[in-house]
Amino acid sequence: MLNIVFGDIENSIYHPPTYFDNQYEDEWITDPLSIEMIRDIDQSEVVSAHLIESPVLGPISPREISGGVKTLMLMAFDDSGKIFNASSCGDNCAKWIVDISTRKDLTINLHHVLDFSTAGVFEAYMVNTGKTIHSYEEYLDEAFQIKER
Amino acid sequence: MKGKYHVIVQNKRLRYEFDIKRNITIIRGDSATGKTTLYAMISLAARMGESAGVDIQCEKKCRTLEGPDWKLVLPTLHDYIIFLDEDNQFLKTAEFTAMVKESDNYFVIITREDLPNLPYSVEEIYGIHTAGKYHDMKKVYNAFYRLYSVEELSGKISPNEIIVEDSNSGYEFFDYVCKEKGISCGNAGGKSKIIDVLRASKGESVLVIADGASIGPEMNELFQYMKKCPHTRCYLPESFEWLILKSGLIDGNAVRDILQHPQDFIESQEFFSWERFFTSVLVQYTKNTYLYYTKHRLNKAYFHEKSKRAILEIMERVVALS
Repeated sequence: MLNIVFGDIENSIYHPPTYFDNQYEDEWITDPLSIEMIRDIDQSEVVSAHLIESPVLGPISPREISGGVKTLMLMAFDDSGKIFNASSCGDNCAKWIVDISTRKDLTINLHHVLDFSTAGVFEAYMVNTGKTIHSYEEYLDEAFQIKER
Repeated sequence: MKGKYHVIVQNKRLRYEFDIKRNITIIRGDSATGKTTLYAMISLAARMGESAGVDIQCEKKCRTLEGPDWKLVLPTLHDYIIFLDEDNQFLKTAEFTAMVKESDNYFVIITREDLPNLPYSVEEIYGIHTAGKYHDMKKVYNAFYRLYSVEELSGKISPNEIIVEDSNSGYEFFDYVCKEKGISCGNAGGKSKIIDVLRASKGESVLVIADGASIGPEMNELFQYMKKCPHTRCYLPESFEWLILKSGLIDGNAVRDILQHPQDFIESQEFFSWERFFTSVLVQYTKNTYLYYTKHRLNKAYFHEKSKRAILEIMERVVALS
């Protein structure tokens, strides 16, 4: 289940890419989910836990993958109980947020209205209003009512 | 600072090329498009100079700004193009807004947050895309593109309701036009209320008219609203005053010259956003004429057929009202 909280909250990591650089585990990189996300978002191939082949940057370390994918990997694998700011994710990460939320209970923090229009059918609990939404249209209706950003 | 500046940032593998022409430019968009890489390259070059191996070509000095001492550093910078990344939580503070307002620097901000305190233009919100590779196929060429194009926002529409951001002269004008055409007209009472007014609207086909020069913070939500309600369109001229100036009602080479390249006339320290500049130009050039202009109450001369037609003709190049 996906829980969405708009605005400043406690226990939230405002800039997940920095947190990722200092907290990621090698095995996260080679997990099949990460391999797929890195392929889809970054158009890059995981060679090993320490090496990723980027078509633009050449061979890079996990610290050089996109901020969006770093945030997704924290959402998927971090078990510290932190809530990650999904405003570090581009709209092309939205479908992966929904995907991760089908594997585990996931709470994300937003400081802007992330565009979930390409995420397909999804369900989320809007923590600010206490309503459950079942589509992108319902998500927008709720998000527009929430003034916290 | 005023003027338009061409910026090239490059190393052996990457080249970014873009123009900056207003005090505030926003970069956002999908993940993995190279925003952070651009920022890192500028940061390296600013810190290490030539030994960074990053080449920056620009008439103005480019640098980054970050960290807890930003408040001490920013007042010491003049005539720079300053790049800021999304990890700076101070971007949405009133303190940062006040410093940008008084600054003689240009700011390029990488963020997906709306930053409602900063009046940036719809035209200065960019994404980055790969525009191609050089002949040796080793260097990737990246360019900026406008996230919100006129074509996507406007188009032919026969609105049965118009919502005007402005509650002053601009609203008076469009309210008058709407009454003639039998179209309902409302004012939002400010750009941040447009979405609320749209949601409450019963109109089947709605046109939003707002100041493009400062509507930037609303664009993400407005654009998503338009996806959900495709019969909503936007007309976003720089401002109502720009529309009057553009109409040709105020004759003269000086006005034409300003409209052709306003960035060369607008000092960022004096005008936080361009619509304030166009208001001052209109007031100055209509003073002591039958078209004298005040922001709070529209001179009836603008309702005369010739004036009204001239203004609407500019608008109808982008959106049709009938």
